[in-house]
Amino acid sequence: MDILEAIKNRRSIRHYKADAVDDEAINTVLEAAHWAPSWGNAQCWRFVVVRDPETRVAIADTLTKVKVDNDWVENAAAAAFKQAPVVIVLCAELGRAGFRSDGTPVTDKADYWFMFDAALAMENLVLAAHAIGLGTVIVAGFDAKKVAQILEVPDDSTVVTMTPLGFPGHKGQVSPRKDLSEVIYRDKYGK
Amino acid sequence: MELFEAIKNRRSIRRYTSDPVDDKKIETILEAGRWAPSWANTQCWRFVVVRDPQVITGLADTLFTIKMPDKEIPNPGAGAFSTAPVIIVVCAETGKSGAKHGSGDGSTEYVTDKGDWFMFDTALAVQNMVLAAHALGLGTVILGAFDAIQAEKVLGVPDGYRVVTLLPVGVPDHEGKAPPRKELSEIVVRDRWGK
Repeated sequence: MDILEAIKNRRSIRHYKADAVDDEAINTVLEAAHWAPSWGNAQCWRFVVVRDPETRVAIADTLTKVKVDNDWVENAAAAAFKQAPVVIVLCAELGRAGFRSDGTPVTDKADYWFMFDAALAMENLVLAAHAIGLGTVIVAGFDAKKVAQILEVPDDSTVVTMTPLGFPGHKGQVSPRKDLSEVIYRDKYGK
Repeated sequence: MELFEAIKNRRSIRRYTSDPVDDKKIETILEAGRWAPSWANTQCWRFVVVRDPQVITGLADTLFTIKMPDKEIPNPGAGAFSTAPVIIVVCAETGKSGAKHGSGDGSTEYVTDKGDWFMFDTALAVQNMVLAAHALGLGTVILGAFDAIQAEKVLGVPDGYRVVTLLPVGVPDHEGKAPPRKELSEIVVRDRWGK
């Protein structure tokens, strides 16, 4: 698939078919993810590929509930974690991206640079999935500490984000984007 | 260009030819960035397209040198600033990504233990941008080791917004090399960590 086509037509998919996703497809999206660039080539990303249905239900339960008319209802993406045959959980090793080898921070954002590098990989992953006909939705509103417990993630790493991976059960809707003129300036901010 | 080809063959490019880069190509790159997903579609990214040589020099001066045990060496990205015709400065509005709906009235409440997700969302856009640039035959390098507060002064970035990364864009004058990647087996586990 053409790169610009993939970028423009990828959608967040929240309903999945139960159809199986084979290991080759999973390897394709992970391979794409790990070709992302990273701070000093530190590659702080780690991926947990979850197929086990019980684990997927446990993970879905960590999603932040949303309050609608005084009732707490399930996050729209929660069902997707049970429908899709695979969930990919993206973790990051802390203290690498943004830090020198002696552990001192390089920038004022060192504590957050793992978020940046993890996202570079995640974008490749969701584009690759789209190109092979699979859907994803990047989910962040969940209890990351609970997911870390469920997956037995060690203390030197953190759970950043996760996505179901499966065949889309719907087309996905286009979220309107701001006009380029609203987000671009020339030479100085605000110009 | 085919997606997987772009993903695998994109390299960080730190030296460029003197060829100009027209606005249409820059717009294609920014258009790719704009189509990235974001927290509740908040699109916190803002882009400053810098062509003014004086501003480029001002930004180059914010790059940190690299401190080695016995010496200090220039930032490997510095060469990019003396040759690139365009620098895209990626900024973010803070207090939006990761925040609860309705907050942002000065008392931002965040949903997760990661607080503000501006680093994550801007990087989703940046990855689209470096891929799009590569597909157009242009080189880029994502720079993070610089004094962002000084860069904000150079550009006049208002409070509530931060400079995240500097992205020089130009026609590559060399091929770029692929830093080795960890084996998938080193970074992927099944169902539980360490399995």
